[in-house]
Amino acid sequence: MSKSTVSTIAAARTHDAAESCWSCGAMRVAQFCGACGKVQPPAPVDYFSFFGLPPKLNLDVATLEKEFYELSRKLHPDLNARAGSKEQEWSLEQSSRLNDAYRTLKDPIKRTQYLLHLEGVQLEEQSKSATEKARATGEVKKQIVPPDLLEEVFELNMQLEELRMEKKTGEDDPALIAEIEKHKAALEQKYEALFQELQSYWKSWDGLIEREQAGQAVPAGERKQALDKMVDVLNRRNYIRNLVRDVNEALEGSS
Amino acid sequence: MSYSDKVIDHYNHPRNVGSMDKSSPDVGTGLVGAPECGDVMKLQIKVNRDTNVIEEAKFKTFGCGSAIASSSLATEWVKGKTVDEALTIKNMDIVKELSLPPVKIHCSVLAEDAIRAAIGDWKKKQESAKPVAAEAK
Ligand code: FES
Repeated sequence: MSKSTVSTIAAARTHDAAESCWSCGAMRVAQFCGACGKVQPPAPVDYFSFFGLPPKLNLDVATLEKEFYELSRKLHPDLNARAGSKEQEWSLEQSSRLNDAYRTLKDPIKRTQYLLHLEGVQLEEQSKSATEKARATGEVKKQIVPPDLLEEVFELNMQLEELRMEKKTGEDDPALIAEIEKHKAALEQKYEALFQELQSYWKSWDGLIEREQAGQAVPAGERKQALDKMVDVLNRRNYIRNLVRDVNEALEGSS
Repeated sequence: MSYSDKVIDHYNHPRNVGSMDKSSPDVGTGLVGAPECGDVMKLQIKVNRDTNVIEEAKFKTFGCGSAIASSSLATEWVKGKTVDEALTIKNMDIVKELSLPPVKIHCSVLAEDAIRAAIGDWKKKQESAKPVAAEAK
């Protein structure tokens, strides 16, 4: 799956780079012609290519930001030809694409999710397809997050429910609140640690891309492994994020 | 988004909320989660050893209305069925019964997972109980 997706993206990339400017016929980049500088019709490229970047996850946000402002200025519809002209329409479209691309790439989690999406990983489908497999084989479905995390989520939710009930009747139990607070601190630490874990997978992913750029073949299995690890960490992170949110809601007003 | 009447009914009057003794040899427990939204669901069944009929079912779900309704319905459906019959319940049956919209399909998947996980847990207990049974107190 990932292999074919990758090759289409790569193909799209070379294709676009090879495309020529509508006005002067020279080679163009994603937004402007390199030769005559005219704005170009939006090309169907991914967000990384839009910024002329390789699909790597470690990226310098400051440089990205600079590039973003530079491009927004240049793409400003008022700067690009007469009102109602084709060029103005294109610069409008390019501007909105620029905004989407920037917003996606500057956020580390969105960037990771976007890359997974480009690689053909369907985050929303994973649970359903695992269920279908379990149904077909009669085996117990492997839960996507580890069982002890599920236990933790469940237990903490029970405590939160208790806390909410107590609040309703107006009798706060300080011991319970203290326990939940303690739990919350541990969760926040875990959340932090998960981000670091994610970054270590970025590194292995980027390593693969670098090898590819150097003309080496990267086995599909290795690619998939790197992607799976990111999916796994994002799933766990989801749970923790929701838990922290629920804890904060439940604690509101107490202590 | 608006919930169907059946969902609202299960949500307001969930059937079989609660828990059973997890360590009992006749009780199977399934604890499952949906990574999409971070919701969790626990479903427990109590099985008659001689007939393999599910006599009791309990659930507790922390999640959206559809997940609560799906698990509530699941406990109703498995009760009185044999373990093998219960395994034929599919998430789409739940979707149909509750008229869940497409974005809520994963909530019904969670309920099917929970049934399977509970039965899986019970089966595992039966297998490991066999050799130990002889030396049990
Ligand atoms: S939204 Fe998560 S189970 Fe329904």
